[in-house]
Amino acid sequence: MGQILSVRGVERRFASATGSTLALQATDLDVAENDFITILGPSGCGKSTLLRIVAGLDTQTAGEVLLDGRVIHGPGADRGMVFQSYTLFPWLSVLDNVCFGLRERGLPRAQQLEVARDFLAKVGLKGFEDHYPKQLSGGMQQRTALARALANDPRMLLMDEPFGALDHQTRELMQELLLGIWEAQRKTVLFVTHDIDEAVFMGNRVVVMSARPGRIKLDRVVPLAHPRHYSVKTTPEFTELKAELTEAVRAEVIAAQAMMA
Amino acid sequence: MKPLVPVAPGTRVVLGVSFFVLFVAVWAAATFGGLVSKTFLADPLTMLKSGYTLLTEMDFAEDIGMTVWRVLGGFVIAAALALPLGVAMGAYKPVEAFFEPFVSFARYLPASAFIPLLILWAGIGEAQKLAVIFIGSFFQLVLMIAVTVGNTRRDLVEAAYTLGVKDAGLIRRVLIPGAAPEIAETLRMVLGWAWTYVIVAELIGASSGIGHMITDSQALLATDQIIFGIIVIGLIGLASDLLFKWVNRRAFPWAQLGR
Repeated sequence: MGQILSVRGVERRFASATGSTLALQATDLDVAENDFITILGPSGCGKSTLLRIVAGLDTQTAGEVLLDGRVIHGPGADRGMVFQSYTLFPWLSVLDNVCFGLRERGLPRAQQLEVARDFLAKVGLKGFEDHYPKQLSGGMQQRTALARALANDPRMLLMDEPFGALDHQTRELMQELLLGIWEAQRKTVLFVTHDIDEAVFMGNRVVVMSARPGRIKLDRVVPLAHPRHYSVKTTPEFTELKAELTEAVRAEVIAAQAMMA
Repeated sequence: MKPLVPVAPGTRVVLGVSFFVLFVAVWAAATFGGLVSKTFLADPLTMLKSGYTLLTEMDFAEDIGMTVWRVLGGFVIAAALALPLGVAMGAYKPVEAFFEPFVSFARYLPASAFIPLLILWAGIGEAQKLAVIFIGSFFQLVLMIAVTVGNTRRDLVEAAYTLGVKDAGLIRRVLIPGAAPEIAETLRMVLGWAWTYVIVAELIGASSGIGHMITDSQALLATDQIIFGIIVIGLIGLASDLLFKWVNRRAFPWAQLGR
């Protein structure tokens, strides 16, 4: 498996009243093709900043990000993104939301519809094509957002706590849905979360980030085979890794609180 | 009554109509009861009768047509220029920084105070009437459209970028459609203001229009005709407002959801 994404010495400083705050310390990360990497860390650890830099929505103050060996400048359709907030276009139907990127590429309408319908079926939203986003539940909106990102056939998928606003039960179903899609397509995913169960269940590799300044503290391969059933959450391998990660994250949260005090 | 608790649709209509009834009743009582002299205030019946005479014998319908034409003409010109400028200001911050201070200043310039100047420049013809409406609505429209477009949700903008749009596509496919319902509401509101400007323009130096009829009636102390004219303006304003609302609801069904 070749490298698809390469983060080299990426650092992000924010200007502040007292000079500058280092949000993300020089970070290196390599992502292999078809991999599913979860980035885990407490809030304020810069994990979203890192993801946003990869997406091109934020600009690093040092270092570079390479996608397929080429330095990225700004956002592009090659890196699809699913956000924590509901970002469907409220004036477009579910179907037209999924068509959005395809239309931008100038695909004929008939083909747009074919692709969009296919992905809507994959996320279980057949029959909701003509609904407006406001008529959908939070979980359904995020499934549409996932279909919209996948329909665009990006090189990789970036997910910024996509299930963070959903209730616990819906979140677990969404995890299984996404995992099922990934197991079928093996689209490279970079997935940010603060939920340890989610990070282990979804990822092939879990990267733990430390609090202020953010940096990669731990990088673990998840020793669970695919396809994964939700029952793996009770296996010894799962619990063991979860215990280690819990300790690591906990230490960071405590350190972060000590810094605040 | 409890604060903010909605009222049933039927009750709402009844309540709304009953104030009109009450208003006319008080007016009728004051005039028929002899509390107010006929010289100063005509009673409702006389007003209706002279309204009928105005329409059937004095070509008042033509005056109404003129006034409507002026309002729409001036407003359409203002909107046609305000839309592109407002969108450009909302989308591009340097453009906003360039125009915004002047537009903010210009919108406080009273349109009616320009009338003497406009008569000097454009005479008392149609150009002067249109110019008054234009000055009264253009700057307000530009500013409100710019704010609406500038308030586009940033996460929607980011989502669009990750789906591959470039700047022109962002304006065309995200900023404009997202702001459209609120822009339509702005147009509706400013059209209401345009109605007040046109009458002022017609009160001074016009040979036709509702405002002109009102000035003529003043010379004859015909309060019945004046009131009829005012009520006609109110009714046309109300009708155009309802029509605009209806069109907006039909054009942007998604904006009505979750209200």
